[in-house]
Amino acid sequence: MADHTPPPPPLETVRAGLTVALGLYLVGLLLCVAGNSASGGSALVRTIHGKLFSPWMTPAWLDLGYDTRLTHAAPEDGDHWFEIRRLDAPAAETIVLPGPTFRGERAARWRRLARATAVNEADPDRESLLPAAVGAGAFVPWNSHDLSLAVMRHLPPDRGDVLVGQADVVGRDEEAYAARVRLVDGEVQLIEATAPVELAPLVKDPAP
Amino acid sequence: MNAPRRPAALPALADTIGDTWMRFWFTPAGPWPLALVRLLGGLVAVALWTSYAWDLETWFGPAGMISPELLAAWRSPFAASLFDVATSPTALWLGYIAGGLLLLSLTIGLATPVTAPLGAVAFTTLLHRGPMLAGPADDVAAVILWCVAIGRAGDALSVDRLVGAWRGRAAPGATQRTRIALGLIRVHAAVIAAAAVLAQLKGDVWWNGTAAWWLAARADSRLVDLTGAFLASEYLLNLVTHAIVAFEILFAAGLWFPVTRRVVVPLGIVAWPLVGVLAGEPLWGLALAVLAVGCLPTRVQSPV
Repeated sequence: MADHTPPPPPLETVRAGLTVALGLYLVGLLLCVAGNSASGGSALVRTIHGKLFSPWMTPAWLDLGYDTRLTHAAPEDGDHWFEIRRLDAPAAETIVLPGPTFRGERAARWRRLARATAVNEADPDRESLLPAAVGAGAFVPWNSHDLSLAVMRHLPPDRGDVLVGQADVVGRDEEAYAARVRLVDGEVQLIEATAPVELAPLVKDPAP
Repeated sequence: MNAPRRPAALPALADTIGDTWMRFWFTPAGPWPLALVRLLGGLVAVALWTSYAWDLETWFGPAGMISPELLAAWRSPFAASLFDVATSPTALWLGYIAGGLLLLSLTIGLATPVTAPLGAVAFTTLLHRGPMLAGPADDVAAVILWCVAIGRAGDALSVDRLVGAWRGRAAPGATQRTRIALGLIRVHAAVIAAAAVLAQLKGDVWWNGTAAWWLAARADSRLVDLTGAFLASEYLLNLVTHAIVAFEILFAAGLWFPVTRRVVVPLGIVAWPLVGVLAGEPLWGLALAVLAVGCLPTRVQSPV
């Protein structure tokens, strides 16, 4: 027997389509949050999110974890900045970025760039990429092809240490990353500064 | 023989869920909340856009720090930016000024159906040109701009509306497009607050009540120095830290019940900027307050 069910009105069809699209987007949003967490996502979430959702959510800047932790009191949560010095002109002053006149979001972007430079040195896929690029980008504005590039960071003091007088409320600064960046025969060379390593004393061969 | 009877509870539950879904996404909504989001979110986006101006060539110029080679190794293979093809300072500045004008036009509601999607594309394309420069305020602003592009954001508080009124056109009424945009704003407001609180609670300092100290003691990025007050009173420090977490949880959950929404939305409009100031991310706080504005009940009508 013929089915006499009337065709759905156009509005219902549009709503059905929108319902599917919205449902798909909400699943994508949740997988992006789960897959972009600083704790790392599971292989299953990474695979589904990476293959089905990243291709269309990344271009719209929506493939994000939104995990704004503000602080965990870790060293990488401190303020970061660059210190760039010309090695071919030792008398030239050190340039600090963001500079003292930089304000608001402009200064925040420089701090993010400095932090990314230091933090990503621990990532094997991104190691050395930013220091070399930042150093090379500094050649023209600072009119030099031999620079010292350092990322400094501010370590706030522990409140308890300030209260007992063991620390100053200002905190202290430390070098998070340092390298020499130079241009030799058209190629950018990055020579990372290595921290002094404690060596074991030589053991002398006891005399027979 | 009697046919087996289906339990009545399941279809009833499915109907309830279906009705709630349809009501949430498809009940036509008036234009005012989304128009306010467009105006305030546009101002935040313009401020974020402007922050690139001083260092545009230092970062993205032909000999800039963020070179195409760096981006090729850094970015997701799905990411791309229209600024990638701006290989000369002139092209870079032209694209930057054009994008800024688009965002300004969107903010004042000029040719909104065109400037809203183009403004969102311009904003996200600039973020993709330097992803390591982007911060949490950029992430929230991108969400706002896409939601504004989906709804009819120029139906009120806009140059478009003024021109329409001058030509004798009736004021636009409630639409489903605007409802979908406002629904997406509410979903994102809740998800962003929930994701932030989950990320924070992975750190001990948010449990032992000292997180606000570590925010206040960052000498460069802080906007107000509260270290003196926090040194004087540990309870005050604990209170501020726990209040931030409690507020974020309340906000994420309270948006979903009409009774609590009346409280958490005004609270969010006030509290998010304060959290942003304490965290040294004022535009992030403002952007989240704009999302809260988008969660205002749609029956709130402007007298204008």
